[in-house]
Amino acid sequence: MSLNLTWYLIVSAIIFTVGVTGVLIRRNPLIIFMSIELMLNAVNLSFIAFSHYLNSVDGQMFVFLVLTVAAAEVVVGLAIIVSIFRTRRDIDVDDMNVLRG
Amino acid sequence: MNPQILSFFVLAVASIASALGVIIFRNAVHSALSLILTLLFLALFYLQLGAMFIAVVQILIYAGAIMVLFLFVVTMLASESRETELPDRIPWQRGIAATLGFMLVGVLSYLLFTGASIDTGAKTSGANSLSYVVATQGDTQAFGLALFHGFAFPFEVTSLLIVVAILGAMVLGRRG
Amino acid sequence: MTNLTVWVLLMPLLGFIILGLIGRAMSRRGILAVALGASGLAFLFTVISFLSMLGTTPASARFSDQVFYTWINSGVTVGVAPLTISFGLLFDPLSAIMLMVVTGVGFLIHIYSAGYMEDDPGFWRFFCYMNFFIFAMVLLVSADNFLFLLIGWGLVGLASFLLIGFWYTRRTAVAAAQKALVINVIGDFGLMIAIFLIFKHYGVLNYFTNSNGNIGVFNQVTAGGIPTISTTIICLLLFLACTAKSAQLPLYMWLPDAMEGPTPVSALIHAATMVTAGVYLVARANPLFQVSPTALIVVAITGGITALFAASIAVFQLDIKRVLAYSTISQLGYMFMGEGAHNYSGGIFLLTEHAFFKALLFLAAGAVIHSLGGEQDMREMGGLRYRLKITFWTFLIGALAISGIPPLAGFWSKDDILSSLLANATSGGGRVFYLLWGIGILTAGLTAFYMFRLFFGIFAGGYRGTGSAEHAQEEEEDDIKHGHQPRSDYEINESPAIMTVPMIILAVLSIVGGFVGSFALFGDLSWHPFATFLNPVFTNPNWTNVPVQVPVDTLSIGWLSTGLSVGLSLIGILGAWTLYRNGFFYKENKNPFYQLVLHKYYVDEFFILVLIRPVLWMGRTATRLLERDVLDGGSRSIGRVFIGASGLLRRIQTGYVRNYALAILIGALLIIVYYAVRG
Repeated sequence: MSLNLTWYLIVSAIIFTVGVTGVLIRRNPLIIFMSIELMLNAVNLSFIAFSHYLNSVDGQMFVFLVLTVAAAEVVVGLAIIVSIFRTRRDIDVDDMNVLRG
Repeated sequence: MNPQILSFFVLAVASIASALGVIIFRNAVHSALSLILTLLFLALFYLQLGAMFIAVVQILIYAGAIMVLFLFVVTMLASESRETELPDRIPWQRGIAATLGFMLVGVLSYLLFTGASIDTGAKTSGANSLSYVVATQGDTQAFGLALFHGFAFPFEVTSLLIVVAILGAMVLGRRG
Repeated sequence: MTNLTVWVLLMPLLGFIILGLIGRAMSRRGILAVALGASGLAFLFTVISFLSMLGTTPASARFSDQVFYTWINSGVTVGVAPLTISFGLLFDPLSAIMLMVVTGVGFLIHIYSAGYMEDDPGFWRFFCYMNFFIFAMVLLVSADNFLFLLIGWGLVGLASFLLIGFWYTRRTAVAAAQKALVINVIGDFGLMIAIFLIFKHYGVLNYFTNSNGNIGVFNQVTAGGIPTISTTIICLLLFLACTAKSAQLPLYMWLPDAMEGPTPVSALIHAATMVTAGVYLVARANPLFQVSPTALIVVAITGGITALFAASIAVFQLDIKRVLAYSTISQLGYMFMGEGAHNYSGGIFLLTEHAFFKALLFLAAGAVIHSLGGEQDMREMGGLRYRLKITFWTFLIGALAISGIPPLAGFWSKDDILSSLLANATSGGGRVFYLLWGIGILTAGLTAFYMFRLFFGIFAGGYRGTGSAEHAQEEEEDDIKHGHQPRSDYEINESPAIMTVPMIILAVLSIVGGFVGSFALFGDLSWHPFATFLNPVFTNPNWTNVPVQVPVDTLSIGWLSTGLSVGLSLIGILGAWTLYRNGFFYKENKNPFYQLVLHKYYVDEFFILVLIRPVLWMGRTATRLLERDVLDGGSRSIGRVFIGASGLLRRIQTGYVRNYALAILIGALLIIVYYAVRG
């Protein structure tokens, strides 16, 4: 039983699923955002694993770009969350339910 | 049991546990801290996989800057709402989400175990291969070569993206 | 032989078209010129053709069938002959007599109407419709095939509708016109089915072999070969049409209500000509009827029962026109009885004489109504003998004629029929003819009674009416609308000459018209010009399959029948004179039998209950069920289905972001599972 790519990918899948579940279950928008970051990181892990096992630096490059974009996204996302929930006492993403049929 | 497998398992369990911690803790600050832990363990994973530069960058930027930002906002917004938990308006979502989560993991694992074997042959070989460069000059060198030779254009675009994000954040974050 | 039938047809048609198009703008004189000119020329051409026919010596040569237009000439054999339908006009003794009656009486009534309708704002419309009627009736009696007979039949129904509802602002008139049309359509239905069956069995529709050479229906009937049951059905259906058009039981109800029309209309259409179309049809189709004795017995029985039934109603009626209407129904019953006893020429003879005296009676009644300013109720009349002298004498002559008093016209015709009934009974026509003969005699007595009741009611005693002051406001407006000025007692005057002259002419005809009948009764067996003239139509040596008509009678039968009928008529007159000679005093009578007959045996109420209400109910129910529930509901429920479906689908848009994220996960999972399963 040698350590190969599949194991890393399974770990990545598990962390990704945890992140998905977190997006669906939690109501605090910040924690939802953090779950999204978790998902991104799980994907980063699988990229690095591929980079190692396929002997190519492209994986690491991709992770670098993902990192950068994640940073920008966090900035803008948090700004939006702040601007929406600034004046509220309780923050619940279910409060944003006006666009319904 | 060679040390690689041992470290893999330890790190795997730890990262999964802290990931679960992110979504389980009631308190948002605890969640944020748990996420930092997860990032740390993932950085260790990267180290094990030979991506030293990325590991350090992850800790510096992700854990060091992004999570700090998160914590700023968490403490700013959620500080009063620690005890007040409003009732869930769609309680059935939890059950379905958990079920689907398990299904997702199951299907992905199934695919990974029974799918076609991934061609782990080297993409590059000889003097160009990653392992060679890492072994001789270090990961950073390899990374730098690739960034400024092959990926220069995305690099520039990313900087543009960052500028746009800053501007957006400033606009959105203003009061009134 | 000069045959000007086509001109007789065209003249009234031209009159109708001209008056219809520009009559509204023409002056009184112009309208009269066109209308009277058209009907007068029609009469003139008829007279010329008739005299020419009389001058044609071999009786078998008095036959002319001209085809003017071949409509369908397919060459495809249907039945026994190739299918050809053409338009042609037949001129033989029967159609000649009918044309003389129609155009002659029609012309006289046109002249009379010039005076009667002079104050009516719809003057031009009246003459337009009258010319149209003359055209339609001429088409009916001179068509040489069943198809154009049907067309003429329908057109006279239309003319009747237009003329009954002439004063279309009156609700009762419009209702009466609709009733007439609806009941006549039942008859038209019978006629149409009969024509279909004729076509099915004989393959052609023309009566005789026409100038194109197509073998006619009657030529084929006489050659035999068609089963009797089919012919009987055809004859019964034809008789259904006659029942409707000639107001026999059970389709007579429209004729009394048709009195809503102006009196000249009642005189022309509902006494002299249109209602006789049924009698004409039976006479024309006599080969068919001769080979189906069952149908003939039905004709006779229906005629007999109707005669008695209508006479009984007429005894109690109070409106003078309605008395005359029921009298017409009764006399038509006589005509059918005669035809049912194989005496077709007798039926046509009574038709002709009846046209004279019934038209006369109606015109006289119209003169009375005109003089009284629209009054039609007998209770409001009386004592008019010295004020309306000419009307008095002409009415008396008409009443005597219809009662069958010799030597006036009605005597010859009615007794021709009665004695042929008795002859038919004694020479093997069946016991039922004894009964019919008895009914005929009894009805003769009733006829005399109610006629003289009417006569005394109008002219005897003192004037019971109260003049214009007693008219209800509505009636007064109606009077002015149809041109009658309200008159009070001292203003009752005789009608103008333009009205009395036709009456006098008809009175003269009623006196002398009967002498063309049979003198067998008085010993001269060789003098029966009318029957001889019509003989070629009803017998033909070439017709091998048709049973020969029953010979008329022996002298003893004739005297028996005649004596009884005249005696009963005199008793009837005596009874009326005893009861009413000092005037007609109406007493309310609570006797239930009296009430039953007074209300015309409640036939109209019966039909409203049995027929009208269910039909209206069906209409309302269909509206409710079909229109509202099925059609409206169906189309609305399509909308509701969509609303419901979209209502369900709307639930997916909860507004919660987390639900949408769940949806994304489900979608992704489906794709992954699909690839996992696919392998």
